[in-house]
Amino acid sequence: MDAFARSATRRAHVLLVEVPGQWRTRAAVERAVLTRGWSLAMSPADADVLAVCGRPRPQLEKATGLVWHQMSGPRVRVDVADDAPAAEALDQAQARLLGTEHHRHDSDSRPVAAHLLSANKGHDQESLNHGSMDHGDGDDGTMRHDGGDESGGEGMDHGSMGHESMDRGDEGDGTMRHDGGDEGGGEGMDHGSMGHESMDHGGHGGHGGHGGNGGNGGNGGNGGNGGMEMAPGGIALAEGGEDRDGLEMDVLYVRLGPVLPHWPAGLVLRCALQGDVITEAQAEILDAETQQRHAGPTAGPAAGLAAGPARILDNTVSLLALAGWEDAAAEARRVRDAVLEGGDRASCAVKLDRLRAKVARSRVLRWSLRGIRPLGHEELERHGLPPHLDGDTYDRLLGMLERAGDSNGKLASPLPLDKLPHLVTGLDLAAARLVIASLDVHELQPGHVHDETSGA
Amino acid sequence: MSEPSVTTVAPAWALAAVAILGALVVLAAALDGALTARGNDAASGAGGGVATPLWEAARLMRQRRRRTVEADGMLWRLGGAGLVVTAVLMVAVVPLGEWTIFDLDVGVMWFNAMDVMVWALVWLTGWGANSAHSLVGGYRFLAHGLGYELPLMFALVAPVIAAESLNVGRVAAAQENSLWFGLWMPVAFLVYCLGVVAFSVWGPFAPALGADIASGVGAELSGVDRLVFEVGRYALLAAGSAFAVPMFLGGGAGPLLPGWTWVLIKTVSLLLLFIWLRRRLPALRPDKFMELGWMVLLPAVLVQDLVVAVVMVWRG
Repeated sequence: MDAFARSATRRAHVLLVEVPGQWRTRAAVERAVLTRGWSLAMSPADADVLAVCGRPRPQLEKATGLVWHQMSGPRVRVDVADDAPAAEALDQAQARLLGTEHHRHDSDSRPVAAHLLSANKGHDQESLNHGSMDHGDGDDGTMRHDGGDESGGEGMDHGSMGHESMDRGDEGDGTMRHDGGDEGGGEGMDHGSMGHESMDHGGHGGHGGHGGNGGNGGNGGNGGNGGMEMAPGGIALAEGGEDRDGLEMDVLYVRLGPVLPHWPAGLVLRCALQGDVITEAQAEILDAETQQRHAGPTAGPAAGLAAGPARILDNTVSLLALAGWEDAAAEARRVRDAVLEGGDRASCAVKLDRLRAKVARSRVLRWSLRGIRPLGHEELERHGLPPHLDGDTYDRLLGMLERAGDSNGKLASPLPLDKLPHLVTGLDLAAARLVIASLDVHELQPGHVHDETSGA
Repeated sequence: MSEPSVTTVAPAWALAAVAILGALVVLAAALDGALTARGNDAASGAGGGVATPLWEAARLMRQRRRRTVEADGMLWRLGGAGLVVTAVLMVAVVPLGEWTIFDLDVGVMWFNAMDVMVWALVWLTGWGANSAHSLVGGYRFLAHGLGYELPLMFALVAPVIAAESLNVGRVAAAQENSLWFGLWMPVAFLVYCLGVVAFSVWGPFAPALGADIASGVGAELSGVDRLVFEVGRYALLAAGSAFAVPMFLGGGAGPLLPGWTWVLIKTVSLLLLFIWLRRRLPALRPDKFMELGWMVLLPAVLVQDLVVAVVMVWRG
């Protein structure tokens, strides 16, 4: 039995939680995980160890707690402070994984799902701009949309847009109007569900299928009974909405982040999905206020001369991994680690060249990334995005590898958060993830989200 | 064509077939573990990753099963377990040298029916969990399916035309003393290999399990459920490799060694090639692949079928 437990911990899977500004700690843990022959988990279900890199502030801590609840036992949480040696933390985790008695107790004292769902509902509603939006009225509520949608100052754009310049406010109109018309009550329930699982939930997709089968009858029913039946098990069903071709299609609200592999730290993207297409999105950075009150995120170990190239390589790893090319992602990770270790410059440069050549050689990669969310000069300028994001996702990948060669490169300036929704709206999830990774985010700058909601 | 080309063995031998399939799964997982360890610069203390399947299996058996709120538990688990069963049913019609468990007249159609079943099984695994990411993964697999399935069917047609039989043993026998089908119908063989990799949700066809959607179909699987699902994928890959041997690689034909060893050698070679390929190619995104499947692969295999048919008529 003991030998069994030991071999079971020989290859633990580790789910990483990165506190904003702590990417170096995360990179160190990542490497420690891989060199000991362990594996990085992609979801809570897959994980044995939850490794929290840095000290999470309240909102992220809460999200981390929810992820923790979703992990099946035996499970262990380790907190890795920024200067702590990662390998030791993992040794500790392995030792604690072996304690069978402890895990038996842990599983007996778990809260039941219903309890968790109800405990988190209230919080979600207030934290969601969405939830406080235009629900419960039957008219089309144009006034409310301006207040409700969060991308600051963009309410002004209404009506002026063709597809290209379409901003969130505009899209909000289409879907929101529909909601208002279709559903009477029960909205609170609906949005309540968005928040409660920070990562892989949203589960309601399955029931979305039911709605589709039932045809329009399902929608009529919604308005009437609001409440329990719309949210079996506390998770809301998808609601109806018009898709991009003007046809009826379920709308499902799903949160992406903050605990998601290859995802900018602390970012939460609230998406309205039709199928896997993002029809509407809203970005938020967790603990935005507390973070600013504390020392700036550039302080700490992240400040340093080699930071820029290493950070860019780190983002390259993400992009290559999201493109599903494991070999290249592993190679980029090795180059990143060599740079972070401060290895000698010449050998790092050689490795980087090899990686660059490998990436440029792959036709499949080019075919796969070409044409995803091209950004022109004017558009970049208009949105205040850096000029090096020019081109499509493939161009941006090559650009990242180019910039990684500048060994004096510093961390890039923060990217304005409120531009993200605009960049991913209308894309499917896969493309949206690739686009976000291709933006080479070093740090996100919280927008003016709060001003707008208070104006609603 | 009256003489049966293979001997049907007693049903109990099916256990031997399952054992061989199991051995192939372990071998494949070990190689994948070794390649992953090498790619990650894992320390030598980690055993070079060869023991990965052992540790991974122990880990998953020790991990608790987990269910999601309002999951359709039965269909969800049916999906994962079904993959293993499907793989076993596939190898049932593959002759091991001169023996077969199930000498079906329409063995090729049987294999085809099994690989279509995988559509339902993978999708059910994604659907049953009642989770958005899983469901997106399930639909990604269906999107891939729309791209690879028809080319795969027509790729299977080519050897059938040449052998004038849907019986797997006869297809293998038709390659005796002549060029292997894989060599003179390379397009069909390549498309077939692509299809095998695709229905195993493997390598470039793994967006259904993609990192971007927290491993998609597998996002909510834990413990034994995940173990069964992963074993199922490897088993499908192994079964697909095994089926390629009578169809394209001359069956048990080979010098010196007896037929059954050649079948195993060829199966293992193809399987290891698939494993090795996994890390080396970027994902084929389903929306993009659809275009490739219909605009390039489908016409290509149809032309291949035509060429084979013309050659056969001309010969006959």
